[in-house]
This record gives sequence, structure tokens and C-alpha cells, in this order.
Amino acid sequence: MSDQPLNGKVVTSQLIASLAARTALETPGVLRLEPTITGFVARLGPAALQNLRNAGSQNGTYRHDGVAATISDGTAHVRLDIATDIAYVALNVAEAVQQRVRESISHTGLTPGPVDICILAIEPRS
Amino acid sequence: MDDHGRGFDPDLDEGSIVARAQDGDLAAFEHLVVTYQDRLFRLAYRMLNDRGEAEDTVQESLIASWRGLPMLADVNAFDGWLYRLATNKCLDVLRKRSSHAENITDPDNVCSLTEAGAIRAPAGSDPAHEAEWSAQQAGLILVLNTLPPVQRACWLLREMHGLTYADIGATLKISPAGVRGMLARARHQITEGMSQWR
Amino acid sequence: MALGDIPRLGCGRSIDRIWATIDQPPTAHEQQCEQCQTARARLSGLNEATRSLRESDLRNPSLKAHPGVTNAIMDIARAEIRRSKRIRLHSTVNGTTEISEQALSSIIRFAATAVPGIHSRRCRIEVRSTADNLSATDNLSATDNLSATDNPSENTGTTASTGPHLIVNLRVAAATGIDIPRTVDALRHQIRNAIPAGVGITAGTINITVEDLYDV
Repeated sequence: MSDQPLNGKVVTSQLIASLAARTALETPGVLRLEPTITGFVARLGPAALQNLRNAGSQNGTYRHDGVAATISDGTAHVRLDIATDIAYVALNVAEAVQQRVRESISHTGLTPGPVDICILAIEPRS
Repeated sequence: MDDHGRGFDPDLDEGSIVARAQDGDLAAFEHLVVTYQDRLFRLAYRMLNDRGEAEDTVQESLIASWRGLPMLADVNAFDGWLYRLATNKCLDVLRKRSSHAENITDPDNVCSLTEAGAIRAPAGSDPAHEAEWSAQQAGLILVLNTLPPVQRACWLLREMHGLTYADIGATLKISPAGVRGMLARARHQITEGMSQWR
Repeated sequence: MALGDIPRLGCGRSIDRIWATIDQPPTAHEQQCEQCQTARARLSGLNEATRSLRESDLRNPSLKAHPGVTNAIMDIARAEIRRSKRIRLHSTVNGTTEISEQALSSIIRFAATAVPGIHSRRCRIEVRSTADNLSATDNLSATDNLSATDNPSENTGTTASTGPHLIVNLRVAAATGIDIPRTVDALRHQIRNAIPAGVGITAGTINITVEDLYDV
């Protein structure tokens, strides 16, 4: 198990998660990421402590509100839970997010794996 | 975080608001919380005469309603059902209280109740408002607190909250005719008590 | 005291009966009977005190729950939010796209607000697997004449026919006095357009049930 080099830094699941979250939020039509029960439990439960201790490890999963990232053998797998703007076609927004996230993962030197997206809410932008 | 289902229209009929809350719509549920929390608080305060316990009761019954909503068969029965949850929680608190300490239900204890401050206007009300409290109201509150809890609940649900005999009966597990009898006895005891007090 | 016991005065009149007519002038008997007069006086005193307590409790700012109570309740509701089931829209090697039943419902509810005289209520969405699509038209609801299954040939108009075959079951309340069949048709039309426009998939089957009327 060796660290993945990137400009002398280490690409962690946490980094991938925050990259994916930021990319998603920059995609037109995305209102926000949606925390889920899993996210809530993870924040309170032992898994949250595990995440804190293990934030830098590879081959682990990093979870935060609305985003989870796993790195396995050089491939990054991302899950995103999003809320979209009712003025956009939700499926198109999800596909744009998927494409952009895969692209930004490829810039880290990791192989983009599946990017799973769940649209949890559709609302008018306030 | 924003609530789900924005664009929520508060002019909806209550049945539709309840139905949306059943589907997990937080904005609809919040509307119900805001609509009912003060009513439930007035009931719980008059039952328990304790702000903190009354607030706990309001909170617990509304949370229980959130959890139980998907199982509610008739959306138009929401108010009666919510009052039932709150009333039963109040009766539970009083039952626990009486198993811990001596419960004052004896009309002869009216004087000690006065001393205990049951008649005092709730903390925080301004003196001008306090002055509005008529002697009659004070006497009513005093005697009300001497009624057995179930009878007091029955009287409050009918006279302060306007519930139907059927809803009160379902809450207290008695027939509508039983509610009528209990109300008559409560009124009788209150008038007796109030006349003694004067 | 037995449950059904209603206290009676010495003259045989029940307290209940005097209470019921407290706002009316005394009867001939009540004018004569001293016990009835006393009871009437006391009960009208109670009537007065009850009304004044009810009104002053309503006005009394200290008889309101602390503002923090709403937040405390909503925090718990939010933490325990019922995440509805997820419906798969699309799946490739690059990942899957799902939508929650709640998100789909909000599109449907939003569409329903455009139809006057309709308040949408519960919304359940099911998915029929592609294999079952052929028999889609067989699923006409026989019991409920307000619900109907659309002709699937309408479906192939606006958007490419992608995604699962949705079965939308929407319950609504209708305003009293509206033309229900016409309104339900308009509602179905709105939903049929809103799902492709908002989600990007075809609408499938839309069952609408009018379960209640509301006054306007």
C-alpha cells in the first residue's frame, strides 16, 4: 500500500471528496449537497472518529455531508447527493456533474471510477 | 440547510399540509409545529403548572407526531390525534409526579395552593396584564388544579380547546356520553369550589 | 362515582341541562326554584370565568412555548428525515444517476400548483421494469373512476424515451364546486409535461385520486 504521489503531496480520499464537492457546487443547476442519515450518523458515530484519524489513508472511504469518496488501487469512486434547481433538467445537471467530477479526478493522477449521483431534492432557487 | 419542498403554500387546507408532512416534507411539518405548539403549550401548562415540563411535553408530542405521521390514516384527524398525544404525555407526567410525591387533589388544600403560588400570573407577564386577571379567573384556576388530572384534562380540552366529545373520548378512552358526564361533574365541582373560595 | 353520573340538584334538574341553557332566559321552573337559581348563578359565573380565562390565556405572551422549542423540534425532525426510496434514472460504467421519490414528488407538486382548485397530497411513485412495459395499458384502475392510466402513445412526444417507466400515484384535494374531470385532466397534462422538463425522463403512468374536498 503506497501513497499516490501528486506534486509531492498525497492524494487522499478526503481530497477527492472535497474536490468532487467543489466541482459539483460549481456546476450550474446544483443548489447544494444534501446531508443524509448516513452522513449524520457518521458525524456522530465511531465512523466519524475513524474518518478523523484516517483522513489521510488510502483504500479507505471518506464521508462528509453529501459526498463520499473511496480510493481503491489508484481508482477513485465518488458518491454525491445533490439538490438541484427546478429551472434545470435534473438528469442533465447530474450528467454534467458526473462528467466534470471525472475530469477533475483525472487531473490528480488517479483513474476516475464511477461517479454515482443521487438527486435528493429539486427546488426553486431562492 | 434549507427545508425541502420550498414553494410551500401556507394557504393550503390543513389536510393537504398534513399529507405532505406524512411524505416527509419538512416545511409542511414546520407549519404544523408553528400552528400547534402554543395551543399544546397552553394545555400542558394548565395541566402541569410548570413551564419546563410543559415545554418538554410540547416538544415530545410534536416529535412523536413526526414519527407517527406516516401511520395516521385520516389527515383530517390530525388535530385530535395530536391533542391525544399531548394529553397522554401530561397524564404520564402527573402519574410519575404523584408516585414520587403527595399529589394535591383535596379541595381543602386550596389555601396552601394559593401560598404555593398556583394563582400567580406566569412569570414574565407585565403588571398591567396581571391586573386584568379577574378574581373569578384566579378562583377558576385554583379550583381547576384541585380536580383529578383526567377530569381536568377533559374540562380543558372541551372548554379551552374546543375539542369534540368524540375526540376527548378517544383521548381519555371513555365514551362520548362518559365525556358528557365527566364534564358535568367537573363543572359541578368547579362551581362548588369557586363558591367556597369566595 | 359512575362514569355516566351527572350531578343533579335536589329538585331533580341536572347540572348539565342548566349549563346547556345558561345563555337563554330561565324557564318557569328555574324562576321558581331556589336551587336552580343558585346553580344558574354559579354556572353563569363559571361560564364567564371560563370565557375570560380562555381569552386571556390566548393573549398572554408568557403562555407561549419558548421560541427555541420550534428549532429543537425541527432539528430532530431534520436529523430523522425520512429519506424516501431512490429511483434509478440512468446507469453507465461512468456511474449511476438516481433520484429520490421526494425530489420527483416536488416536481409533481410544483406542477400541480399551476392548476387552480387542486391541493396535492400524498405522492407515491413506483417503477415498472422495462420487461413489464408492454403490458402497461392493462393497468387501468377499475375501482376508481377518478383515476386513469394514460395512453402510452402520448409518451413518445417531447423527450427521448429514456429512463424507467414511472407510475405516479398522486392523491389530491379538490376545491368544492370545480369541474373535477376537467381539472384532473388539466393536472395530468401539467404533470406529463413537468416530469420531462424538470427531470429529463418520460412521465409514464399518472394515476390521480381525488380523496377530499376543501372549501374555498
